[in-house]
Amino acid sequence: MINVLYLDDEEHNLTSFRAAFRRDFTVFVTTEPSEALSILRDHPIEVVISDQKMPSISGVEFFELIMPDYPNPVRMLLTGHADIDAVIDAINKGRIYKYISKPWNEAELRKLVEEASYLYKTRTESEAQATDYSIKLYSSQEKLAVLSKDLASCDELSEDSRKAYSQRIDELIEMLEVPKML
Amino acid sequence: MISIIRQFQFIIIVFSIIGFSNNALSQKYLGLELELLELTDANVTALTPNELFDDVWVKPNVSVPNLGNSNTWIWARLNLDPVKDAGLHVEIAYATIDSLQVFMVCDGVTISDQLVGVHNTNNLNRLNIGNYPSFLIPSIDCSNLTCYIRAWSGKQLLLPVRIESSEKILSEGHFRDVLFSIYLGIVMSLLLYNLFLFFSVKDKNYLHYVLFIIAIGGTQLVLNGYDRVFHLVSIPWISLRMTHIFGILGGVLTILFSRNFLHLKKNAPFYDKLFGLLYIPYFVATLLLVLGFYNTSYDLINFSALSIIILIPASIKVWRSGDVSAGYFLVGWSVFIIAVVIFALKDFGIIPYNEATIYALPMGSAIELVVLSLALGSRINQLKKDSELAKEKELNTSLLNEKIQREQNVKLEQNVEERTSELTKTNASLSETLQNLRSTQEQLIQSEKLASIGQLTAGIAHELNNPINYVSSSAVSLKRDFIDVKEILSLIVNLDPNSESLKESIESVKSKLLELDITFTVTEIDELLEGVEDGAQRTAEIVRGLRIFSRMDGNQEIKANINELLSSTLIILRSNLKHVVDVDVDLSENLPDINCQPGKLNQVFMNIITNAAHATTDTDLKRSERSVKVSTRVVTTDNVEVIQVEISDNGVGMSKETQAQIFIPFFTTKEVGKGTGLGLSIVQGILEDHNAKVEISSTMGEGTIFILSFPT
Repeated sequence: MINVLYLDDEEHNLTSFRAAFRRDFTVFVTTEPSEALSILRDHPIEVVISDQKMPSISGVEFFELIMPDYPNPVRMLLTGHADIDAVIDAINKGRIYKYISKPWNEAELRKLVEEASYLYKTRTESEAQATDYSIKLYSSQEKLAVLSKDLASCDELSEDSRKAYSQRIDELIEMLEVPKML
Repeated sequence: MISIIRQFQFIIIVFSIIGFSNNALSQKYLGLELELLELTDANVTALTPNELFDDVWVKPNVSVPNLGNSNTWIWARLNLDPVKDAGLHVEIAYATIDSLQVFMVCDGVTISDQLVGVHNTNNLNRLNIGNYPSFLIPSIDCSNLTCYIRAWSGKQLLLPVRIESSEKILSEGHFRDVLFSIYLGIVMSLLLYNLFLFFSVKDKNYLHYVLFIIAIGGTQLVLNGYDRVFHLVSIPWISLRMTHIFGILGGVLTILFSRNFLHLKKNAPFYDKLFGLLYIPYFVATLLLVLGFYNTSYDLINFSALSIIILIPASIKVWRSGDVSAGYFLVGWSVFIIAVVIFALKDFGIIPYNEATIYALPMGSAIELVVLSLALGSRINQLKKDSELAKEKELNTSLLNEKIQREQNVKLEQNVEERTSELTKTNASLSETLQNLRSTQEQLIQSEKLASIGQLTAGIAHELNNPINYVSSSAVSLKRDFIDVKEILSLIVNLDPNSESLKESIESVKSKLLELDITFTVTEIDELLEGVEDGAQRTAEIVRGLRIFSRMDGNQEIKANINELLSSTLIILRSNLKHVVDVDVDLSENLPDINCQPGKLNQVFMNIITNAAHATTDTDLKRSERSVKVSTRVVTTDNVEVIQVEISDNGVGMSKETQAQIFIPFFTTKEVGKGTGLGLSIVQGILEDHNAKVEISSTMGEGTIFILSFPT
């Protein structure tokens, strides 16, 4: 089940959201931003939905707040009305995935949450893959370095061949540097 | 000129006939038979002829000796024929001898001694009034009868001596009297005529002329000896000087009259000055006369009189300049001067001394007077003509002026019309500009309104969308929850108490209950229903608030409660203010309704409350520390009840300068593009419409308080 966090100052919104989606997702709801932070900390939240207009903090501000620590959860802004400035801020600063206006269409919202979840998964997987590749590259480089050292102390090869091998190894190391740079 | 001469032809002819047709004119004067003796010593008055027999007597060799003008005693002797001349008279045909004594000496013995002249006016020795002094030659038996004449004169002295019968002398005297009467008649008629004219015309020229006539006539009177005949003056001192006096008078009046008549000052300034100078010799002559220098005075008078000749060029000049009357003047004076010349030539023996030449002067003067009178008449005509011309000119000028005035009036009217149309145009363009300004202002107000409406829309949309959202969403969820509930219910309904498997069935229901988590579902249903109820209520509230608030467009006054208006405004503003500040509301319960324009007042409250909220955001205060308070109360001061609305904040506050300017249109402390600067100026206008007062107290860094007082 997809873990969804919904932050809204309006209690009734939370109730109806949970009622609508509790059968499909694992729904976390709260009216307090601080509680939302602790939920994020304690649960692997995949999708974060927030209202824009709240007394203590705006939705965009909340997203900005959580982004450094929780960059992966996909962010969606759900609001009754937002002026163009708020929308621009939401995209540029809050890096939101979708902007949804109230009243929500349940089916549509469900689909969007699923998509977001998929995005989250892809993001997480590619990250893991990238880490995996990095490790592999790193070990290859190390192996090559060792090989280069061995080559230097190998007397069986002629000077020319040694040079040719050495050059070849350096080229390989160089080639491996590129993905590392990524 | 010719026409003028023609006019005088008649007069000239008359005088010529009178003068020359008379036989009496062929007198014979005995100058050639006279012997003269001039004694310069004044003391010799008492001398008798006897004492002079042996003196050297001189023959003058002219028929009428002219003895000139010298203060000397003249003796003349004439040998008479005692037989033939007896009974006849010795006549000295000269009227202005001041002292004349005639002695008849028979063989050296004086037999008669007769004195005439000023010293003895009573003894005129005249046969008639018109006669010159004449002395009877006695019938006496003598071998030598001689007539001795002793004469003295303070002026020119001539001795026209002749021997005539008394009849002849008398008839001549009569004739002279007639002539002089004619002359006097002319003079008198001219005098009276011109005097009358003077009184009627009031032209001083006439007075001068009248005086001039008197002087001229008087001169002739004196020159012809009529003054003595008529005993005009009995004082010898004056009588002796009569000729001089009239000479001076004539000269002075000539100058006066001529200068004025010819307008020399204007027409010929040079001659005017010259004439002016002529007063000097006359004045000197008067002085000399008074002092007794008769002869010198007489010479001076004559010399000055000669200067009259300059009247000729002067009058020619004036006449040429177009003055017709100057022509008459010229003729008159020319005649007179000719007469004077004749008179003078006669005295010097150049032309014969006879009655005609003697009468040249009075004749000339008469003609002159008549012509001058005509000149004056012409002057009247000219004046009349001139004045008519002037009048005509004046009339023409006034007509022209009127015409010009009329034209100018038309022009003026045209100008006024043009100016008016220009003004109308300007006025039209001005009112157009004003209209534009007004519509611009209205547009600005409208845009301000739109801006605030736009600002509101976001809040209202949010405010409305929330309840709508959870109501509609809850409905779907409820439906789904009820499916679970219905499932359980159908299971329960299908339970058969008689069935053997009742227990199993109940178990399955129970397990289903657990499976569907019905306990939670029921709780959820309660929550959802509560949300629906609350949402419906909220929606209704907002709609009601909107309805109250949206009276913005309605400008008519209605009864409304300020509390209600404030509440609706706060509802509308709620979502906008939610993340900014909490608004504390303290509304007095017993606030009376007032007549107002609710929509406009909502605009006022919204504006001030929004400003207050914004003021708090410009501080370092956290949201929980920010405060905006709205309260209402009824205050009674001096028996006047007012509703006060107080809106206070703990925001940045305003400086005195800002406070002074907040109601000025377009004044704003916000960034460019953030505010129109019209909000509070509109607020002020609305409050003025409601007769409401605004009090503001603000301190920088502490906050602002607006107190609005509405009359109830």
